[in-house]
Amino acid sequence: MKRREFLKKSGAALCMITAMPEIAFSKGLLKSPVTTNRLRPPGAVPEEIFAGKCIRCGRCVEVCPYRSIRLLDIRAGIFTGTPIIAAEEVPCYLCMKCVLICPTGTLRRISQEQTRMGMAVVNRHRCYTWEGSIICRTCFDVCPYKGSAIILDELRPIIKGDHCVGCGICTHACPVTAEDGSKAINIEPIYSRETVQWK
Amino acid sequence: MEIRPRSFHARRLWVLSIAFLLILLGPLANYYFQIDLIQGWYQSLGIGNFWFVSPLEGLESILVAKQLYLPALIAMLAPVVLALLLGSVFCSWICPISFFSELLDWTRRKISGRRWLKDRLLLSRRLLWYALLGELFFSMILGAPLFVFVSPPGLVGREIMTLIFFHTLALEGVIILLVLGMNLVTRRFYCRYFCPLGATLNLIGSRRRVTVSMDHDRCIACGLCDRSCPLGLSPANGMAESLYCWNCGECVDVCQSDALFFQWRQGSKKVQKGKPNQRLKQTAAPDEH
Repeated sequence: MKRREFLKKSGAALCMITAMPEIAFSKGLLKSPVTTNRLRPPGAVPEEIFAGKCIRCGRCVEVCPYRSIRLLDIRAGIFTGTPIIAAEEVPCYLCMKCVLICPTGTLRRISQEQTRMGMAVVNRHRCYTWEGSIICRTCFDVCPYKGSAIILDELRPIIKGDHCVGCGICTHACPVTAEDGSKAINIEPIYSRETVQWK
Repeated sequence: MEIRPRSFHARRLWVLSIAFLLILLGPLANYYFQIDLIQGWYQSLGIGNFWFVSPLEGLESILVAKQLYLPALIAMLAPVVLALLLGSVFCSWICPISFFSELLDWTRRKISGRRWLKDRLLLSRRLLWYALLGELFFSMILGAPLFVFVSPPGLVGREIMTLIFFHTLALEGVIILLVLGMNLVTRRFYCRYFCPLGATLNLIGSRRRVTVSMDHDRCIACGLCDRSCPLGLSPANGMAESLYCWNCGECVDVCQSDALFFQWRQGSKKVQKGKPNQRLKQTAAPDEH
């Protein structure tokens, strides 16, 4: 290889490397897969450090008795191999087995009530009861914290954010399914966007 | 070819098979019988309340997240002590990639009839350290541990689990095929030059107690050990005591004059760097380093 050719090629390689973060961002390789109804298991650290802390050992997936937790594959970029729960498919039933098994503390050891996987949000334009078409109280009936996390106001479901653990059982049970696959009650992973307090 | 009945090779195959069965039966028991005694694979393995975390993965997690977690540190202890005493025996005696490599070797031997493959592509052994450094460096830039999601030993476990649990295979499994494919060009190509985990374990085992030692008076300079070494080291030139040796015992098995043997060292003499011993230069080294 001639010197000029070598310099050209190494220059091109350098450009590629410097452009890599751009490509990665544009392809969503650094974007968190946690969105509406796509939740981390209970006790998860914020997304900011999740990819760094999780060692992708898959033990939470194996230990989950309901097969709620799945592994993301390489299409998730740097989040490859991290656990995720698709709330509308199989929600988390809060057995709390995964938090005891996580070897790196990515899932912190917390109790059922302390779990904050997200918060349920009722879409009042889709919910049958809120719309006024029929009286449906499925979400209220299935909620493990009914009465505190979800209450009925004139038979219409209202979420109490202070107590909702974001398990997604209501989302799973909701009879309304929109074209995009979302339900009339969805889990928004608002706690995953928290920032880490460095000590 | 003959495998002596009580050889290290046979024992190693047993250990490798058991280690592989462990990560195969773990998910099976979990999925079909709801027995969650064993979870995980060789990134983190949990057998009941005994947890193991691979040292490199644990280190990456600590470096990137900048948080210490006591259970992880304790779980890293056993692998680190193992490497301190025995060197990187994880690689040669436990790692599922080694298991597949042995299977591949066996198949190749059956097909070609040749006992050992000639290494066609040789690189500098120091690449291993650069692989480790680069891996840690890029992990910290990226803010995500790189090795944990592309580590071949971990990927084997992940593929098995994905297959059993979700009846599909993860896309990143092609890395395993690549790693194994390179074995046909150079034996243990990936393990030799690129595996950051191997590099970590080699470093931890730099003062290991068990090494392959040589009785120079008994050596007949047949050169069999040099050809047998899957890493392409030259035990006849004292390279079995170098940082790179993973104590698999192939050379001990093959030695006809019993000049090579495993030795438990009492003192904490530092393991030699990979400098060939001048005294036995007449035994032609199989490759240059």
